[in-house]
Amino acid sequence: MDDSVKSLLQRLIRRIPSQLLKTTLEKWGRLTAEQQQSLDFTQSKWMLTENLLAMCEENECTLRHIAELEVTYIMDYPNQGMWYAYQLMDPEDDAHCVELIQFKEQFKTHLRELVRHVSIIIKKHTDEAAWIRIAWGDTYTRPSHMKPTYIVHYLQSPYVFVSNLTSKNKPLLSQALLLSTRYQAIKDANLSGRKLTAIRDLLMRQYQQVFPTKYPSPLAEENQSITNPQIEKEQDKNAANRLQLAREAFGDGTLPQLQSAVYKLETKFRDQTNKTMTARDEPFKCVVKFASTNLLESLRDCASSGFASAPVTPLLSSISLKGKNYFVITDNGPGAATQTRRSQN
Amino acid sequence: MRMSLLKPFSKLPGLNTANILLVEFEELFQQSLADALVEETAVTVNVRLAKNLPLPKENEEVRPRIDLVVFIINMTSELSFQSAEASLKYLDSGFFLGKVCFMVTNARNASVPTQRLDSVRKLAASLHCSLLFAEDQTPEGVTNAAERLLTILKVSAGLVPMTTALYLSNLTRCTVPPDIDQPTFD
Repeated sequence: MDDSVKSLLQRLIRRIPSQLLKTTLEKWGRLTAEQQQSLDFTQSKWMLTENLLAMCEENECTLRHIAELEVTYIMDYPNQGMWYAYQLMDPEDDAHCVELIQFKEQFKTHLRELVRHVSIIIKKHTDEAAWIRIAWGDTYTRPSHMKPTYIVHYLQSPYVFVSNLTSKNKPLLSQALLLSTRYQAIKDANLSGRKLTAIRDLLMRQYQQVFPTKYPSPLAEENQSITNPQIEKEQDKNAANRLQLAREAFGDGTLPQLQSAVYKLETKFRDQTNKTMTARDEPFKCVVKFASTNLLESLRDCASSGFASAPVTPLLSSISLKGKNYFVITDNGPGAATQTRRSQN
Repeated sequence: MRMSLLKPFSKLPGLNTANILLVEFEELFQQSLADALVEETAVTVNVRLAKNLPLPKENEEVRPRIDLVVFIINMTSELSFQSAEASLKYLDSGFFLGKVCFMVTNARNASVPTQRLDSVRKLAASLHCSLLFAEDQTPEGVTNAAERLLTILKVSAGLVPMTTALYLSNLTRCTVPPDIDQPTFD
C-alpha cells in the first residue's frame, strides 16, 4: 500500500466521526468479519487509524477501495459541503428510457473521452439515485483524490445535484452528463445549500403540499389550547385564513430544512423622501439574504402569525413554488428570476 | 368605517358578569392572562381575545357588552405598538371614559428604545387611560397582572358600589412629566 493510499485513508478516518465509523465500515464490506469485530471503537481515533491501516495493508486495499469507503460515508451523511442544483433541459426522445446500467456505461465512456486521467465511481442509492464520485486528473497527471466532485442524479428526473465542482471541470462534466442522460442542455437551478436532503426535497417537492380549496378542513380545532367556554377568540376565522394561506404558500407538516435565500436587487431606488437617491438613473444594487436554521418554517410562521401580510407575497412563496433560493429582481418584474446566474456553455 | 366601531353601551349588561377584551398583536400573553382571569369566583369573567381591531362583523350578534378593553403592547416590538395604535380608531369614544387601559410588557428590556416608552406614555396620557406595566414570563407576574386588571374590570362593569369607571380613571390615568421631551442621561 503506497503512501498516497495511506494518506487518503488517514484523512478519511479523521473526517468520519467515531460514532458513525462502525456502521460505515460494515457497509463498506472490505473488512472480514474478524477484522470488523476486533476493532475497538472506544479507542482514540489515532489508535483506530493505525489498526485500520494495518488491516487494509493486509487486505491489499487499493486507492479505489478507499474512494468507495468515502462514497459510502457521503451517501449516508450527505448534509455537508455546499450542494448546487442543476436542471437538464430539452430531452431527446429516448431520455426517459435511460436506466442505470446504460447511464453508468455511457457516462464513464464519455467522461474518459474528455479527460485522460479520471477516476469514476458510480453507485446506486437505496432511493434509486445515481451517486457519482469523480477524482479529476488531466492529460499528464494522475487523478487527485483530495477534492473529489460528487454528483447525485435521479434518473427519470431532470435534476442533478453537484458538490465540489471547479469551473475548469464544469464544461467537461456537463458534456458527459448531457450525452449520457440524452438531454440537450443543462442550466443552473438557482438552488443551493448545505443539506442535500433539504434542497432535493424542495426541488422534487417531497413535502406535504397544500392546494387551494373552497372548503378547507376545520383547522381551528387543531389549535384548541383554550377549552374554557368563558374565553373566546374573536378572530378565529382570520387566524384560520392566514394559516391556510401560509400552508398553501409553503406546505404543511415538516418542511425541507432550507437555510438561506438570497435576493439580488437591481431595481431603482424608490423612497420618495430621499431625492438624491431617486434622482439617479442607474438601479440601486443590493443583496438581501435571509438565513435561518429552517427558513421555510420561519416564513410560514411569519405568514400565519400575521407578521407578513397574507396572501404571501410571490417574492417569498417563489422559494417553495419554484424551488429556488437565489433570485435576481429587476424592474421588469420577478420574471427575471428565471435568468441563469452563470452562463452555460 | 362607522359600522365597525365597538360601542360601550349599546347592549345590556349581564347579571354579576364582567366582559373584558384583550387586544395583543403577538397573541401570547393574552392566553395566560385569560386563564388567570377566568379563575375569579366572585364574578363571572368572560374574556374575548383579539389580535387587533376591528373585530369581525359576524360576531356582532353574539358578542356581549365589553366592559374593559386592554391593549397589550410588547415594548420590544415596534409592530406591537403600531398595531395597538392603529386599532384605537375602531373604538367608540365612549370607551375612553375609563373603559380602556394599556398594559405594557418587557418595559425593562435593554433593547427597548426610550422613545418608544415615551410614545406609549404620551398616547395613554392623551387618551386619559391607565398605563400598567406587567411581567409576563413568570406565573406570579401573570397572576399579579390579572389581579390588577380584575380590580379595574369590576369597577368598569359597575360591580363596585359608589365607584364608576370614569371616577377610577381620573385617579389612575397616566400622566407624563412636563420634562418628558428633555434629553435624558442615557
